[in-house]
Amino acid sequence: MIKRPFFGIAKPKLTYDSIEDVRAEPVSVKPKQRVTLFIDVPFKRAGKALIKTGDSVIPGQRLQLLEGEPAGYTVSPVAGKISEISPFIGMMEKQMTAVVIDVEQDGEEVAADPAFKEVSDKPTLEGAIRFLSTIPGKPDLSQFAESGKSVKTIVILGADRDLMTVTTQYVIKTGIASVKTGIDILRKITGVQNIVLTVAQSQVQAAGSAAAGVRSVANRYPAAHPEMILRNLLYEQIEQGGVCFLSAEAVAALGEAFNNGRIPLEKIITTVKKDGTRQLVSAPVGTHISEILDAVGEKIEPGDRLIAGGPMTGAALYSLEHPVEPDTDALIVQGADIIVEGKDSPCTNCGECVRICPVNVPVNELIRYMDAGEYELAAERAALFSCIECGLCAYVCESRIPIFQFIRLAKHAVKRMNAAEEANA
Amino acid sequence: MPNRMKLTVSHAPFWHDGSSITSKQYNIIAATLIAVIAGLIQYGIPALAALTLSVGSAMAWEFIMNLIMRRPVSIGDGNAALIGLLLGMLLPAATPWWVVITGTLVAVVIGKQIYGGIGGNPFNPVVVAYAIILVSWPLYLDFNAALVDFSFDFPAAYPLVLYKSYGTGALESFTMADLLLGNQAGGIGATFGLGLIIGGIYLILRGFIRWEIPVAFLAGMFITALAFSLYNPEIYAGPGFHILTGYTLIGAFFLAPEDSSSPVHFIPMLIYGALGGFLTVMIRNLGAHVDGVIYAILIMNLVHPLIDKIRPKAMGRVMHHA
Repeated sequence: MIKRPFFGIAKPKLTYDSIEDVRAEPVSVKPKQRVTLFIDVPFKRAGKALIKTGDSVIPGQRLQLLEGEPAGYTVSPVAGKISEISPFIGMMEKQMTAVVIDVEQDGEEVAADPAFKEVSDKPTLEGAIRFLSTIPGKPDLSQFAESGKSVKTIVILGADRDLMTVTTQYVIKTGIASVKTGIDILRKITGVQNIVLTVAQSQVQAAGSAAAGVRSVANRYPAAHPEMILRNLLYEQIEQGGVCFLSAEAVAALGEAFNNGRIPLEKIITTVKKDGTRQLVSAPVGTHISEILDAVGEKIEPGDRLIAGGPMTGAALYSLEHPVEPDTDALIVQGADIIVEGKDSPCTNCGECVRICPVNVPVNELIRYMDAGEYELAAERAALFSCIECGLCAYVCESRIPIFQFIRLAKHAVKRMNAAEEANA
Repeated sequence: MPNRMKLTVSHAPFWHDGSSITSKQYNIIAATLIAVIAGLIQYGIPALAALTLSVGSAMAWEFIMNLIMRRPVSIGDGNAALIGLLLGMLLPAATPWWVVITGTLVAVVIGKQIYGGIGGNPFNPVVVAYAIILVSWPLYLDFNAALVDFSFDFPAAYPLVLYKSYGTGALESFTMADLLLGNQAGGIGATFGLGLIIGGIYLILRGFIRWEIPVAFLAGMFITALAFSLYNPEIYAGPGFHILTGYTLIGAFFLAPEDSSSPVHFIPMLIYGALGGFLTVMIRNLGAHVDGVIYAILIMNLVHPLIDKIRPKAMGRVMHHA
């Protein structure tokens, strides 16, 4: 945790970490008992289910939940039996379905599902959308297929978005060849020729061979946020519109998938222990957090905080049974002793948030509208939707107001109101 | 078996820079101490009595209001103590006890708590309280009358009254060094300019107050006073005199930058400070009142939400991304 410096006249500077500070070789973790996979569609008891408990699955098998909803699927990383299918509520009421698979270990290696092999011989966008939406990095390829939306530029995020995390840098360091393959395939299947790769300053050399326009992002948080990249590096593209972001890990996985004819499911995760030491872990998507913690030798005590993602934008977990998701770049353990709890003191108008906000949101006004429940006014008058969700305002808040949470809640409320109005119109 | 261990769950961010309301209030209290101690040495036991009564009664009012309004008890955050301390620093050492208690009542109850406590006050509570007791009992806050029983080894007349009544000719007995070192009559903690400047610089360096406000306040004052004295040096005193007398320094470093009643954006902070300094000199030179700091800050508090509308445009949201 980076504390306020003694001399606080200047703004605090939070800088991204470099891969050079971390022991580079990842520890490999194999799920032993069960894995949990999330499918991005609501669990419905009606509708014709294509998978049910008791089904046997093999590695690489595509598991589509409902007939007629091809977008709602996941890919099993292991051989085993489905033991549970249940609804799961994610952040901001996001409705998902959790599929638990009991791992079967007979000692024999089970051959991977050949269904993707046939697709991989002739790369198409449809094939990629059908099989590769849940590979590490979680590429949202469906936006290329949407009609009426023309993507002109693809930006590959090769710098880690949050602090402490070095996952993406590891991919650039060791997997730049796969990234290059992925870029070639992206060009082929999407038809988009303008591809930009953004990397940390220290990795410009390493990324040079990727056959894309390489841009370096500044070392200071939140320069690697997509909105900041748009603003600082790609201002000429904003007017043209049609910029799409993909993570470097996703592009590397895409390249690997078409190279090997297998769906890659090994996710790289930066783990941060209570003492601050870091260790890279490679584990299949769906592996439970508890198994990863065992592998890095970290014991969890009651009251500790487990964070999936970075310290500024991650999500706290309430269960050790939570799985690694395709976009879980980091896993941070915080001891109960260093947790700074939020308070319900009012805003004192000190203005720290206003001065640190990278996009000039008048946070002091915003918090007053939100406090009064006036979410629509907050959007109209205090630039609620300009917020890029970097979390810096809550990091410096002297009253310790959970501003970031407040902002997400307000955005969610406004979106829901608008959706309801449209539905009733 | 699912693991039922209880983990701490909260929303991002999971880091905090460790700042808190409490540490800021206590640091501001600490920054006043040099000036306060100088005042105590100057005025002795009556000053100590006034200050302790002021701090204590402010905290008591805060506690009573917490109970009445059924809010969490907030005297621990140091804000009530700071309000009491700053009000005490403005008062003459011989202020009657009931004036002090009424002052803190006005500051804490009318100045702060009826707006919902810390952060809600549109005006600086200390300034509101001082203005109200000044118009209620001007005699008790008139330094020449209140300090008549004290003997000093410097001219005992309040410099601003001399200036108002007799013009610059009456000020020859004051040197800049005397004024800076507190060899002048005035409030308990408001005369030792050097101590206030050191305290203010400490707060600026630690980031507890925004440097823009005191700097702009003093600059606004300097320029306005300079213009006046260039126009007619016989009548109007120079900027040095204005900055080192009355409540200028305590106002610039401790009253004007109060969080809730001052702007937060860069240009508005400069305007707020500069206009405050300008108004102070205007009131002193042209107005009916002896010291303009209190009313200047009140007026700037009143307009600060408007000034704060001058702000950079928020970056537009680009809808089109993954």
